[in-house]
Amino acid sequence: MNLLYQSYYFSSYQCDRGRCFYIDFGHKEVKFSFCQLLSLRQKLQKIDLNSHFDKELNYNGIEILSLCNREHLFVLDTYQVIDLKQLLKATFGILELNSLVTPS
Amino acid sequence: MKDIVRQKIGINVDIMDMLNEQIKKEAHSSAVYLAMASWCDQNGLDNSAEFFYKQSTEEREHMLRIFRFINENGGTAYSPEVSNVTHEFNSLQEIFESALDQEITVTKSIHNIVGKCRKVQDYGSEGFLQWFVLEQMEEENKIRKILEMFDLMGTDGMALKMIDERITHE
Ligand SMILES: [Fe+2]
Ligand SMILES: [Fe+2]
Repeated sequence: MNLLYQSYYFSSYQCDRGRCFYIDFGHKEVKFSFCQLLSLRQKLQKIDLNSHFDKELNYNGIEILSLCNREHLFVLDTYQVIDLKQLLKATFGILELNSLVTPS
Repeated sequence: MKDIVRQKIGINVDIMDMLNEQIKKEAHSSAVYLAMASWCDQNGLDNSAEFFYKQSTEEREHMLRIFRFINENGGTAYSPEVSNVTHEFNSLQEIFESALDQEITVTKSIHNIVGKCRKVQDYGSEGFLQWFVLEQMEEENKIRKILEMFDLMGTDGMALKMIDERITHE
């Protein structure tokens, strides 16, 4: 397994043999197909962080995230959401770099 | 490390995001044209109403074209939510003017994606978008021609009826 990126709470890996990805959430490791990784990325992009600082919009400052067709359920606080956003952004950045350096 | 991403997806991921944004814009256009069709129908402007019904269908087809392109190439297309559709208009001329404004906005957005395609060397997506570049020119011109009729004939009752009669929707 290749480590792609490590943020404060989470880390992401690519598994060449399984042609898939893993995210280590600390207490749980979740396997992602590329499509599922895209969908996680989309979900995180859609989260409006501003609402976490507005008691009317998001009273508890938490985000409930269901992954891989509701196979997994995560409850994240503001710090974790920021961290996961960062993880996904950096992970896709690394993957893009990898595409650039992979000889064709 | 293997390039799994490239094995899975044929288009650039950032381009995919932009195409998903474009899907929203096409869906929004489709909904706006439907609202315009309704206004025209209510005001007895049958040909204009037909014109906008047809435009609305075309915009939905544009949306589907992009939607399928993303999915066929290993990406994920997202079904758009549409909001912010007004049904309030003051005149037929105003409707056509805002239709032209909307088309121009869409043209700029398409050009913006084409520019990005070149930057990231996503030539497949660029080729796909060429059809849209030409389609936008056609659509803008179609509405421009109609607006010229208002310049020539004015906007009073009789003129309006005559303009409506001249609006075609083959
Ligand atoms: Fe369109
Ligand atoms: Fe259009």
